[in-house]
Amino acid sequence: MGVVIRRMCVQVTVAAGVALGVFPGATDGRVWAQQVRPVVPDTTDPLARAMSAEDRHDVKAAAAAYRQVLARALSPAVNDGDQASMALLGLERVWTEAGLQDSIMPVVERVLLVRRGDPIARGIQLRAYLTGGKDEAARVAFNEWRRAVPTEAAPYREYARQLLSSGRAKSADTILTEAARFLGSARDLSGEVAQLNVSLQRWVPAAIAFKTALAEQPWLEHSAIYALQRVPVPVRDSVRTVMAGAPVTLGARRLLSELEMAWGEPRRAWAALAPVKSDDSTTAAWRMFAEQAEAFGAWLIARDAWTAVMEKSGDLSSVQRAANAAIQGNDAAGALVLIARGSSNRTGAAVTRALLPVEVAALSELGRPADAQKRIEDNKQFLDDGLRADLLKPLVGAWLRAGNLEQARVAAANADLSDDDETAGWLALYSGDLVTARKRLVRVDARRGSQIEALAVLSRTKALSSPELGAAFLTVARRDTSLAVTQFVTLAGTILEAAPALIATAARLEEARQQPAASARALVLWKRVRAEYPKSPEAPEAVLSWAQLLSRSGDIKGAIEQMEALLVDYSDSALAPQARRELLTWRGKLPPGGV
Amino acid sequence: MACLLPLRMLQAQFMLIPMDESQRNHLKAYGVTFLALKNAQKAEWLLNYRGGAFLLPDAADLKRRATLEGVTTEPLNDAAVAKIRAEIAGGNMDAVVLERAPKIAIYRPMNQPPWDDAVTLALQYAGIDFTSVWDDDVLKGDLPKYDWVHLHHEDFTGQFNKLYLAYRDAPWFVAQRDRDLATARRFDKPDVPALKKAVAEGIRKFVDNGGFLFAMCGATESLDLAVAAFNVDIAGPFADGNPPQSDADSKMQWSRALAFTGAHVEPSPYVNALSDIDGHQVNVQSRRQPLGSFSLFDFSAKLDPVATMLVQNHRTVIPDYFGVTTSFNKAVLKPGVTVLAAEEGAPWVKYLHGDFGKGSWTFLGGHDPEDAQHAIGSNPTDLSLHPNSPGYRLILNNVLFPAAKKKPRKT
Repeated sequence: MGVVIRRMCVQVTVAAGVALGVFPGATDGRVWAQQVRPVVPDTTDPLARAMSAEDRHDVKAAAAAYRQVLARALSPAVNDGDQASMALLGLERVWTEAGLQDSIMPVVERVLLVRRGDPIARGIQLRAYLTGGKDEAARVAFNEWRRAVPTEAAPYREYARQLLSSGRAKSADTILTEAARFLGSARDLSGEVAQLNVSLQRWVPAAIAFKTALAEQPWLEHSAIYALQRVPVPVRDSVRTVMAGAPVTLGARRLLSELEMAWGEPRRAWAALAPVKSDDSTTAAWRMFAEQAEAFGAWLIARDAWTAVMEKSGDLSSVQRAANAAIQGNDAAGALVLIARGSSNRTGAAVTRALLPVEVAALSELGRPADAQKRIEDNKQFLDDGLRADLLKPLVGAWLRAGNLEQARVAAANADLSDDDETAGWLALYSGDLVTARKRLVRVDARRGSQIEALAVLSRTKALSSPELGAAFLTVARRDTSLAVTQFVTLAGTILEAAPALIATAARLEEARQQPAASARALVLWKRVRAEYPKSPEAPEAVLSWAQLLSRSGDIKGAIEQMEALLVDYSDSALAPQARRELLTWRGKLPPGGV
Repeated sequence: MACLLPLRMLQAQFMLIPMDESQRNHLKAYGVTFLALKNAQKAEWLLNYRGGAFLLPDAADLKRRATLEGVTTEPLNDAAVAKIRAEIAGGNMDAVVLERAPKIAIYRPMNQPPWDDAVTLALQYAGIDFTSVWDDDVLKGDLPKYDWVHLHHEDFTGQFNKLYLAYRDAPWFVAQRDRDLATARRFDKPDVPALKKAVAEGIRKFVDNGGFLFAMCGATESLDLAVAAFNVDIAGPFADGNPPQSDADSKMQWSRALAFTGAHVEPSPYVNALSDIDGHQVNVQSRRQPLGSFSLFDFSAKLDPVATMLVQNHRTVIPDYFGVTTSFNKAVLKPGVTVLAAEEGAPWVKYLHGDFGKGSWTFLGGHDPEDAQHAIGSNPTDLSLHPNSPGYRLILNNVLFPAAKKKPRKT
C-alpha cells in the first residue's frame, strides 16, 4: 500500500514539476525517482535517511527526517524549493500510510506562509481537503491559490484534475469554466477540458479539446486514444468531422487514424493520415502506419501507405514493401506500376537485387512468364547464383498460371525443382495425375486457399487420373472463374463420389466474385448440395453459406431459419458454434463489447 | 432377441441433460428445462447425479431447443432410466420432480444504471422468462404475483451505495437520485431512505408470506440493514439531510432481519461501506481484502434437498469475485442460517440460505461471477463466451429451485 501511494505521489510531483518548470528536464517519473534516490543510503543526509526509514515502514523516523529536510529547505539561507517539495510529499505519504492524513495540514500551512504559490503544497492541501470531504475548505484553498498566482493556469488545472479523479465532473466543469473567464482562455487547460468531457460522455467537445491540446501537448495522444476509442458508433462520425477539420495537423490526424484502427476501420485510418502535409515526421508516421496495416493483414492499405512513404523518401525498402503489399493484396498489376515508379532513373546491382524478386513475383501472379524471363535475362549481370535460383520458382509459377505446362516443366527442370512438392504437386494436378498431386500437395507447408481447395477435392475421389479435373484447376489458376465453375459442375456428373465437393468448389468460386449475380448463382449451387447431398461433408457448409448469403441480401428471417436448420440437422458439425454465434448477432443478443 | 422386445422399450422416451463436464452449455441447459416446465412437461432434477443432471421427456420441441442452443443431451429408454434410478437410490443422490415454471420477477429499474445485473444476464442468456419490477410495483403490493424475486445491486438503506462522494455529478447518478425522489414523493415518503425502507419491508413480507428471494451483491447486506433499521436513521446526511443516529447500532432490530445479526453500521458518509457485514470491503481501500476462491459444501441429497439443489455444479471450487458486498462475515450470521459455500480458512462465507416465515431466501455475495472486478461503466459480460460458468450456475440453480415439488425437510 505504501509503495503504491509513494509511486502515485512521485508521479504527481513530476507532473506538477514538469508543468510548472520546477524540475527542468525531468520527463519521466521513474528517471527522476532514480536520480534522487542514492543507491547506497547516505545516513548523514536527512532526505536519504527519511527515504530509507520510509522504505522500512518506520513512519515515525521518516516523518521526523522529512520535517528536518523541510525546515532546512525553508530557511532563508537555503530556500530550496525542490527539497521542500520532496519533504512535503514524503510527509504526505508517510502520514497517509499511518492513517494520519490530517497531520499534513499544519505543515502545509506553514509552507504556504513563506511560499504562497507553491504548487506542491497547494496540491497536497487540495487533496487533503477533497479526500476528507471538506469541499468548502478545498474551494477556499483553491481561491487563495488563485489569488496568489492570478495569471497562472496551475490552480485551475490541479483542482480540476483532482475533482475529475474523484469522479466529480460537474464541479470540475465549473472550475474550468472559471479558468476560461479569469485567464481569458482555457487553452492551457484543454487536456483537462477533454478529460472532463470524456467523463461526462460529451464526446464531441472532448474531441475538440483533445485536438486543441495535442497541438501544444503531444504527449496526450495516448490518453486521447484511450479515451476516445470508447466513443459509441452513432457519435463517431461527429468525432471524425472534428478531427479531420482544418487545420490539418499531424497530431490530430494521427489520433484519428489510431482511433479508426481501434474501431476496425483501417481504410478510414489511412484516409485520415494520408492528407497531412509531407515532412519527416509525417513520413515516420506513415511508415509506422504501414507496418501496423501489414500486421493487421490490410495489405492494400499497407500498399498505399508504403507508396506514400516511397514517394516522399524514395528508399528502395519502401518500394519493395509497397510492391510486396500490393501482391499480397492481389494487386500484382499495381505492384508492377509501383516498381516502375520506384526504380525510375535508377539502375545497378542494389536496385536489381531489391526489386527484381518482387517484380518477378508480380509477373508470376499475373501469369506473364515471358516478361518475367526477359527481366531475369536483362538483369543477369546483377544476379548471383542464390538470387537466380530464388527467381526460378516464381517463374515456374508464372508458366503454370499461363497454362503452359510444357514451359513450366522445362523451367522446373532447369531450376531443379523436382524436390519441390508445391511445384511438382501442381504440375501433376494440372496434368490430371491425381495420385502424384495428392501425395505431393499434402506435404506443402504453405496452406494457400487454392491448395486447400485442391486437397479437399482430391481427398474425395479415389480416381488415379482425371485430365478434366486438372484442366478445371488450371482454369482456376488462370483466373477464368466462369469457365472453371462450368468445368467443376460438369465434372460433378462424372466423378460422382466427389460431386458435392466439386459443386461446393464451384459455389465458393462464385461467392468469391462478390457480385450480386455470382452470389445468386452460388446460392443455387449451395441449395443443390443441400438438396442432393444432405449427408455429404459439404452439406453443413452449404447451409451456412446459404444463410449467410440470405443475411447479406437483407433476409434476416430466412437466414435465421437456415441457420437453425443447420443446427438441428448437423448439430455435431464443426460449424455449429459459428452458426450459434451468428444467430446471436442476427437476433441482436450479443451485448455491447462482445467479441 | 432385440426384435422380440416391444418397440417402446428400445425407443428413447427420455432425454438426459448431463450437467457434468460433458455438458457443452450448462447455462442454456437451465433454459431447456425451464421450457419443459413452461410447456407443462414433466421434468426431474437428478441431484448429485452427473453434476445435477435434468431428466426431461424426449419431446421434439425440447430436443430442437437443446440442439439449437448447443446443449448436450443423451436419449434414454425406460431401461436406462431404471438403471439411473437404481444408482441414485444407492448413493448420496436424489431425483426431485420439478412441477411448474416459476413466475420470476427481477427487481431492477427501467433505465439501467451503468452496471449490469448478473441475474438478468443469466436469465436472458438461458432464455428464461421474467418480469421486471421496481419500487412502484413493490409498494403497490404486486410481489405476491411471483414465486421468485431477485435483487441485485440496490441499496435498500437509500444511500445510493454511498456513491455520492465520487459520483454525485455523474449524469446517471443525478438521474437515479431524481427518479427515487420522485417515487418517494408519489408514495408520501419524505426521502429516499424512507422509500427504500418501505420497499425492503415489502420484500420482507413477500418472503414471510411464502415467497422465494434470491439476492446478490449489495442487495443482500442493504436489505437486512434496511429491515433491521426499521425505526432507526442509519442514512448519511447526503441521503436524508440528517446525520445517522449516533446510537444506531444499539437500536437495530435484528430479529426482523433475514440473515444477519449484531452488525456494526458504518456511520461515516466518507467510508464507502454500509456495515461490517461484508468481509472484503472492496470500496474501502484500507480495509479491502484480496480475492480467493470459495468451495461449495456437500449436503445430503435425500435429507437436505433444498441446500443440495442450490449447490448443484460441475465444479466445487469457484474463483471469487468482488461486489459492493462480496462476502458475509461469519461473526454476523444468525444462528440457523445454512452456509452453502465459503472460502476455506477465511472469516467470511460466500453463499447463504435460510427460511423466513413461510418463505425462504438465498444470498450470494459478489457482482459478476465471470468478471471478478466488474466496475461501474464496464461492458456487460457476454455469457456466450462463458457457457460453462460455474458461478452463473449458482444463480440458475436458484431459478429452478422454486419449481421443485415441496418435500418436508428432514433435518
